[in-house]
Amino acid sequence: MSYQTYNGGRQNGSFPDEYKRIVNSMRDNLPKILMGIGALLFGAAIFSSFYTVQPSEEAVIVRFGKYETTTQPGLHFKLPFGIDESIKVKTKLVLQEEFGFRSTEGGGQKATTYADGNYQKESQMLTGDLNVADVEWIVQYQIADPRKFLFRAQDPRRNIRDISEAIMRRVVGDRTVNETLTTGRVEIASEAHRLTQEVLDKYDLGIRIVTIKLQDVNPPEVVKPSFNEVNAAKQEQEQAINMAESAYNKIIPEARGKAEETVSQAEGYATAVVNRAKGDAERFTMTLAEYRRAPDVTRTRIYIETMEELFGRFKKLTVIDDQVKGVLPIFGAKGSQKIEEALR
Amino acid sequence: MKTNQLLIFAVVCVVGIMFVNSSAFIVPEGRQAVITQFGRPIGDPVTDAGMHVKLPFIQDVQFVDKRILSWDGYPNQIPTRDKKYILVDTTARWQINDALKFIQTVQNERGAKARLDAILDAITRDTISNHNLVEAVRNTNLILDYIEKKAEEARKKVEEGVLLVAEEEEITGEIEKILTGRENLSDMIAKKAAIELKDFGITVIDVQLRRIAYEESVEKKVYERMISERKRIAEKIRSIGKGEQAKIQGKTSRDLQTIDSGAYLKAQLVKGKAEAESTKIYAQAFSQDPKFFEFVRTMDAYKKSLSEDTEFILSTQSKFLEGLRKAP
Repeated sequence: MSYQTYNGGRQNGSFPDEYKRIVNSMRDNLPKILMGIGALLFGAAIFSSFYTVQPSEEAVIVRFGKYETTTQPGLHFKLPFGIDESIKVKTKLVLQEEFGFRSTEGGGQKATTYADGNYQKESQMLTGDLNVADVEWIVQYQIADPRKFLFRAQDPRRNIRDISEAIMRRVVGDRTVNETLTTGRVEIASEAHRLTQEVLDKYDLGIRIVTIKLQDVNPPEVVKPSFNEVNAAKQEQEQAINMAESAYNKIIPEARGKAEETVSQAEGYATAVVNRAKGDAERFTMTLAEYRRAPDVTRTRIYIETMEELFGRFKKLTVIDDQVKGVLPIFGAKGSQKIEEALR
Repeated sequence: MKTNQLLIFAVVCVVGIMFVNSSAFIVPEGRQAVITQFGRPIGDPVTDAGMHVKLPFIQDVQFVDKRILSWDGYPNQIPTRDKKYILVDTTARWQINDALKFIQTVQNERGAKARLDAILDAITRDTISNHNLVEAVRNTNLILDYIEKKAEEARKKVEEGVLLVAEEEEITGEIEKILTGRENLSDMIAKKAAIELKDFGITVIDVQLRRIAYEESVEKKVYERMISERKRIAEKIRSIGKGEQAKIQGKTSRDLQTIDSGAYLKAQLVKGKAEAESTKIYAQAFSQDPKFFEFVRTMDAYKKSLSEDTEFILSTQSKFLEGLRKAP
């Protein structure tokens, strides 16, 4: 019953009849069929014996699995039907391995976001003073020899990763945490470059390291605040020193100025004193010269002039005649006593 | 008739292809092959790439890799000789150098991995636990030179009187001298492993200590130590700053007093000299006639010292009033 539906297409003729018909028609058309097969084979041969190598590539040709040659970019000829096989290797391309993070293309064309969440095991390493540092780096390399790259190792990329990790730890292991975090970066990168290339050359992998660059180098997350504290302390130190120095700079120049002022004042005073002395002396000498010509008269004159000025000046001047008695009570007992003493 | 010929041709073709297919084999680049006859290896392994022949049907070919293979160890927790617990993650590069032995003893790469796991783990464990931690971390004693250099620089700076920013003294704790070093340790592991793996037709090219990390509980303590160290350094830097500040403040006070008193000294000297000179001048002038000087000076003094508010009582006996008393 189901046979009927399955065989639906053949219900018009019996099986042997159909077979005979096919064989007969094959015999009739044999030359045509052979020619057709020949043309197909020829086409396949032509098609499989040319290959193109792109400008960024080189092609390795293997014949029956054995390395034959390496060809440069352009159109090339090889033996058809898989006798020769071409393996294209991008030798001009700079390849990159990342350690401690992975850059992933973001939504935008230019945006590259860095995911470094789960790669701490790659980046955490011990420094020579047995501290821990978080070192992220990249290795850029080119395939220098496609034959060696293809056939020397099973997984060259993995070898690069393993070696680079081991070497980076060896290099950082010979340095202090401080050097690793600050001044040693360039030196670490160049030494890692040299040593990694050395090891890869030992394996003869046909790989040339273009560059090794350190990316973020940090103390471990938990320790970071205390590293920042050291930086803050440095700032504080500078600030304290700056404050002291600014106080110095504020006080000392002013003091210098004041000192000069004091000295200048003293000098001024000195000049004044001397000049005054000179003036007084000169005046005295000159007066003396005149005085000597008529001493008595001059003395008297000076005396009288002085008294004149003095007595003229006083607001209250009392003149007492000795002959007159009884004025004393004016001044009271004490006052008169004084006057008497004065008069004596 | 024609149908029969065609059939025979077809059969011959098929048999021929089967014959060729079963006697020729291709060894690709990077592979090697062992020919076996009913399971028994025949001749040397074929290590050259290209087309090779064997007896059809009764001989078989087994392929193994000829390239450098990687072995990745499982991170092991190992105590070092100085009783520090660390995680050691090793990798090795190896090659099948005797395909026959390899096939006989471990059969394939998976079998080899089990042996490599067992042997390399054991040797790594032995080697690491026989050495101090630093031997696995550091490769050379360069760090000691570095510290020595830094200390030298610091000494020089102190001599020159340059301010020390504590950074120069940041190296903390004892830095042990190493005797073996990381590279030698991995060489030791590789050499020992090579001897044991020789019987499996395997050569060990190298072993690398890929990662060495503190075990988690140790890690915590290390972080704590790092934090306290940083704190100490920060304190030191601050205290150097304060010391420096005090120094400058001291200098300020010293300079200030020096300047002030210096000015005072100079001023007094100048004044003294001037006063001496004036005294001399006065003396010279006045000693010409001391009496007259006394008289004139007294007169002057009267003028200056007696102000207009003075209550003055004058006797008619005074010389000034002589004219008042006696009529001429």
